[in-house]
Amino acid sequence: MLGWEFPPILAGGLGTACYGLCKALSAYADITLIVPRSEEKQKLEDTNVKILGLNYTGLDEELPYETPRVPYETFTEVTYVDNPDIHPYPLGIAYTKIEYKETSTAEDVRNMYSTNEPYGPNIMTKVALYADVVTQIALTKDFDVIHAHDWITYPAAVKIKEATGKPLCLHIHSLETDRIGEKAKYYDNMVYEIEKKGMQAADRLIPVSFFTRDCAVKHYDIDPAKFYPVYNAIDQAPVFRLPRELDEKIVLFLGRITFQKGPEFMAETAFKVVQKYPNVKFFVAGVGDMLQQLKDLTRSQGIFDKFIFAGFLSKPKVQQILAQADVYFMPSVSEPFGLSALEAAQFGIPAVLSTQSGVAEVMDHALKADYWDTDKFANYIYALLNYEGIRTDMTKNTKVEIDAMSWDDSARDVYEVYETLFAS
Amino acid sequence: MTSVCFYFQVHQPVRLKSFSFFQIGTDHQYEAVDVNFGILNRVADKCYLPANNKILELIEKTGGKFKASFSITGTVLEQLEAFRPDVIASFKALADTGCVEFMAETYYHSLAYLFSAEEFERQVKMHTDKVKKLFGVTPTTFRNTELVYSNKVAATVKKMGYKAILAEGVDRNLGGLPPTTVFRAEGTPLMKVLLRHYRLSDDIAFRFSDKGWSEYPLLAPRFANWLHNMKEEGADTINLFLDYETFGEHRAAETGIFQFLTYLPAEVLKDPDFDFATPSEIVAKYPHEHLYNCPEVTTWADEERDLTGWLDNNMQKDAITKIYALEKKVKADGTPELADTWAKLQTSDHFYYMSTKYWEDGVRQAFSPYKSPYDAYINYMNVLSDFEALVEEISAVVPKTPGAIAAMSKPAETGEAAAPAAEAPVKKAKAPSKAKAEEASNTPAPKAEPAKKAPAKKAAK
Repeated sequence: MLGWEFPPILAGGLGTACYGLCKALSAYADITLIVPRSEEKQKLEDTNVKILGLNYTGLDEELPYETPRVPYETFTEVTYVDNPDIHPYPLGIAYTKIEYKETSTAEDVRNMYSTNEPYGPNIMTKVALYADVVTQIALTKDFDVIHAHDWITYPAAVKIKEATGKPLCLHIHSLETDRIGEKAKYYDNMVYEIEKKGMQAADRLIPVSFFTRDCAVKHYDIDPAKFYPVYNAIDQAPVFRLPRELDEKIVLFLGRITFQKGPEFMAETAFKVVQKYPNVKFFVAGVGDMLQQLKDLTRSQGIFDKFIFAGFLSKPKVQQILAQADVYFMPSVSEPFGLSALEAAQFGIPAVLSTQSGVAEVMDHALKADYWDTDKFANYIYALLNYEGIRTDMTKNTKVEIDAMSWDDSARDVYEVYETLFAS
Repeated sequence: MTSVCFYFQVHQPVRLKSFSFFQIGTDHQYEAVDVNFGILNRVADKCYLPANNKILELIEKTGGKFKASFSITGTVLEQLEAFRPDVIASFKALADTGCVEFMAETYYHSLAYLFSAEEFERQVKMHTDKVKKLFGVTPTTFRNTELVYSNKVAATVKKMGYKAILAEGVDRNLGGLPPTTVFRAEGTPLMKVLLRHYRLSDDIAFRFSDKGWSEYPLLAPRFANWLHNMKEEGADTINLFLDYETFGEHRAAETGIFQFLTYLPAEVLKDPDFDFATPSEIVAKYPHEHLYNCPEVTTWADEERDLTGWLDNNMQKDAITKIYALEKKVKADGTPELADTWAKLQTSDHFYYMSTKYWEDGVRQAFSPYKSPYDAYINYMNVLSDFEALVEEISAVVPKTPGAIAAMSKPAETGEAAAPAAEAPVKKAKAPSKAKAEEASNTPAPKAEPAKKAPAKKAAK
């Protein structure tokens, strides 16, 4: 299995989803997970998932590395252009180039991945080298299925398939068209190309929702028959409530402040809500390339004081705010799943979600509107802030729904997708 | 002798328009005029008119042997008067045959019985008056909204002057007895109770067009045969109570439901021991030795035959509690129009739309104008928020003397269902508005209390 983000290094839902799935899937299959960086050669607790981090390349017998590397076709030009603007992921990374030494040593590889920043300006170089090194490692191992998570690992996955002929499953947690919109299809976007080539080469595609399957079919022109959507899940965890620290009620927005997450629709909704219900704060936890734009927008609308911009929060901090929030609001323009909505639901917070999200497919007891329908969003939020009946019913019904979910269900589905590869 | 008793429930709510929170405090018009008009027209053309014509034809063809009874809510009568007087005329034609009985219920198809004795009585009286005015007959049989029934309901309704009441034949209360005799109410032995035969009623109302049903397709001869077989069990009355909209609306004409209706009377009457009768005829005709004991409230809904379709989740309880909490203020200070708006918000359908029971199968959604129970609740609460503010506003400016509604709803002196003379009980006045309300602060509270002045008249026998 090929992954990129993995706890404790997380940028979004990808790492959390990989973790949840790996753990549950280990009951059905033996897994070797190769990630750019691991804490040390680790085994996932209570499982037989073996985790190999490239930051230990050459230091571990399981992570051999030799130069010259196995022959392969590069998927892009090898030139060096530094792009200091590319931070954080995913702004514009699709247009960076690859810095690539023909003869990287094992030490070079270790240095490349011994960083806390999973993406960064040299992301394309990281992706290319990962493909190279991981293919070498794969050739030393015996396995049945290649399972790769998101575009950063797709080139490696495709190369392993070419080198070994083993069947390839690509897990789709997010697409470039989700992150930057339809413009991903034009201007030689490299990420889009990687995704498309990967999906074409794969034997099975596992998107995290039917919404994502439909996006892939529509924007990447992939045969719908290759898709086996498997929803993300959440395992039961202790939750708690805290007394509200603010006088106002809290509407929580949790996620990167990027085009994909619909920050301008949040601002528009907030503007409408506060006209009728001023005793509210919109709590924004996250950073992103549109943060400044969002702040400016709220200032120009005169509602800046109704917002709290908390920046990127650690998991305990997120839980603290989840324990106090009154409404969870996710106006995403295109959200393959939206795992944090399940976390919020676990905390008993009623959710207002965009219809353009995968999680909306599994949460019957959430309030849903199209991402652009800020009138409807505002009407829902107003209701949740004012009317007690719906708050208590939604919290109760959502809890039943969340308690019925488990990563084991998802893992079993994934395993059954593997089985389809070996059915004659 | 065995009688077959058909009773049809005719009802359309006044549905609410999509009312956003922006409109709270600025828009006091709540009705989805277009939607209500559209549905009314459709149901009138597909069900009410063709079914009425069919029944009239059957009465004529059988020389008055076919009989039926109706309960028509005030909310649908008002809409028909406004937009489809032809349907009113066709019900009037049925009334004129003498073969059709009209029953009493709450004018607004509300659950008022459960929340306010005073409001319940007001609405029942309004309804009886309306039926009398439109059709020239005074109801003596009562059926409560959704067949809400208990021993106490029977006692209450007896006091109001009604002679008989309809209820669901709930197995757990029957103690093995068949629902096919005339019962008397436990605690009110002078009150006759007719019990719905739910299996046979639902064969027509629900299973008729179910292709997976072993008896599909159900044709009139077979159904008549089932009825005839019940003679052996000593059935006095077989009570078939169903929504009138079954004919042509819930079951489309293409299912053959009208043919079923066409052929059934002749098939039933093939056995000389069978006839058709109305509720008041049946209670007069048959012995009534058994008591029907119903200590808990029952309805005709769901497997449980309880109130959970309307009063189960927190949204339903919250909404209905809030609407009835306005009673005192609305009655003390409001105009008849304010009371009318308030009462229309009591219609049981609003709370049914909020039901989360059977969420998975979407049964409720099939009859709901909303996408989800949450949407239904939110829309209702937005409307209610505006209405609450309106009532507050009026309450703040109107002098504290009893208003027209309060006077109107005083119990009639005789203790019988009092029908005021020729005067309509609700005097038309201008819709309440802020300007009006302010004006009212300078003038005495609205007067004109027809009910008070009118000599109370005993309900016709």
